[in-house]
Amino acid sequence: METVIQTTSLTKQYQGNKVVSELDLSVPAESIYGFLGPNGAGKSTTMKMILGLVKPSEGNIAVLGKNVNQKNRLAILKNTGSLIESPAYYGHLSGRENLNLVASLKQVDTRQIDDVLRIVHMENAQHKKVSRYSLGMKQRLGLAAALLGYPKILLLDEPTNGLDPAGIQEMRELICSLPKDYGMTVFVSSHLLAEIDQMATHVGIINHGCLIFQDKLSVLHEHSRSRIFLRTTEDERALSVFKEAKLPAVFEHGKLYLNTGKEKDILRAGYLLFSNNLGILHLAEEQKNLEDIFLSLVGRGIDA
Amino acid sequence: MKKNHTSALRVELYKGRHRHMLLVPLGFLLVLALWSGFSHRNLDSYDLSCGYARLFYQFPLLNCVLMPIMLSVIASRLCDMEIKGGTLKLLCTLEKKSSFYDLKFLHEALYAMVFILGEGICIPVLGQLFHFTEPLSLSLLLRHVLCLALAAFPVLCLQHVLSLMAENQIAPLFLGLAGSFLGLFSCFFSHRISRLILWGYFAAFLPYGLDYDSESRISTFYPVEFPTATFILFTLFSLAFYIICRRIFLKKEV
Repeated sequence: METVIQTTSLTKQYQGNKVVSELDLSVPAESIYGFLGPNGAGKSTTMKMILGLVKPSEGNIAVLGKNVNQKNRLAILKNTGSLIESPAYYGHLSGRENLNLVASLKQVDTRQIDDVLRIVHMENAQHKKVSRYSLGMKQRLGLAAALLGYPKILLLDEPTNGLDPAGIQEMRELICSLPKDYGMTVFVSSHLLAEIDQMATHVGIINHGCLIFQDKLSVLHEHSRSRIFLRTTEDERALSVFKEAKLPAVFEHGKLYLNTGKEKDILRAGYLLFSNNLGILHLAEEQKNLEDIFLSLVGRGIDA
Repeated sequence: MKKNHTSALRVELYKGRHRHMLLVPLGFLLVLALWSGFSHRNLDSYDLSCGYARLFYQFPLLNCVLMPIMLSVIASRLCDMEIKGGTLKLLCTLEKKSSFYDLKFLHEALYAMVFILGEGICIPVLGQLFHFTEPLSLSLLLRHVLCLALAAFPVLCLQHVLSLMAENQIAPLFLGLAGSFLGLFSCFFSHRISRLILWGYFAAFLPYGLDYDSESRISTFYPVEFPTATFILFTLFSLAFYIICRRIFLKKEV
């Protein structure tokens, strides 16, 4: 699969403090790449570096196969649309006037304005002053501006921030439809795991400026293998029996677990307990969910 | 490339829609006209014989008060729309940051020029209105307009960069107000000190001096030689100042 954004050892430091450290991102074409990380992990800085708004301290950025530098930056960015941090708008102008302005700067046909307004469901509010828009409407206007010119890549930084549940759902559906309907690649950042889980095809996890995971979302899900929770009449003796028999048993937070979901291992464990006169009081399968994996990767809590 | 600049300029001017920006220079022009109209209401034949000299002396002093405030208001109103809407991070992906800076400055300078040219038109109009007997010197009028534009240039540079970099516009507006006081007071300082005050240059190129005889209470205007060296140095300083302010802005990350 073709890569549309590739960063190599991308680093940004402020006064010796590394905000982004040696990031090697690889965003496949027509994917929805979820860029996940807790607040302050370096997501926005990374996106700003890709857009040339922040100068990297070290490393390279290639967009659509071309290395981005100050000279070719704007030519390359013509193929991108962005919505960084909060939507950009002129409050004293109407929504349509705002889009007119962006269309002129992007040098795209102003007839596209009607199309993007329809995509974001803003036809009825287009003549209203943007200062009177709700945050959700501003966010949708920002997305409409980003969609002008139907760019190949869309960079969205926390696009559901401040939206109500219905707005979040609407934005999510819209983002999911973009690769299929317009062949776009969407690079979307969020600190909400559930959000990325529902939208992304690929995921990159950043923490303290370092990329700690990057692959298809399905690969991340594969980590969510099951394990068996056991309560026996003598847990400590049961653990030593399992260990002697080389079964993957652990004692975590006062609980006995068998880190396997294989039926053969479970049968063997049962036989070992029975032959050592140990009774089973409770046995249950536990599935490690995506949040547990994320927490084990970043090592601290996030908003679920 | 030229097409890009033209379209970017068109976009910059488009941003000013519904802001009624023209009211700012026109309002200040009205204040200037009313002020001078009020001070010229009782003129005798002697006053009429030196009517233009009086205006060429009076207007630069009024400019010391009005221009810093007006320039800060123009810069603030045009830059605030970018700051409030957080548009820089969008604009910098669509156009060069330097071209945004230059075009925004040009936009502000357009409104400043409305005032400057308006003042240039005001002088002969007031002369006709009050029936000055002194003939109007076109070269002095041109010199007045040119010197006013030159003095306004670095002040606008300063207001421009501050308004673009400040999170809210109180500080730039306060600076405009402080500049107005400093500019006016600098007229009463010695040249050594007044030449160090940026806002004092509105009165640095006066074509006439004033001799006031307190016994007879008669004011006499006498011609002053044009300070060519000051003019050249100030022009060079203004250009360098624009470049420095521009660099400061370009260095700032969005």
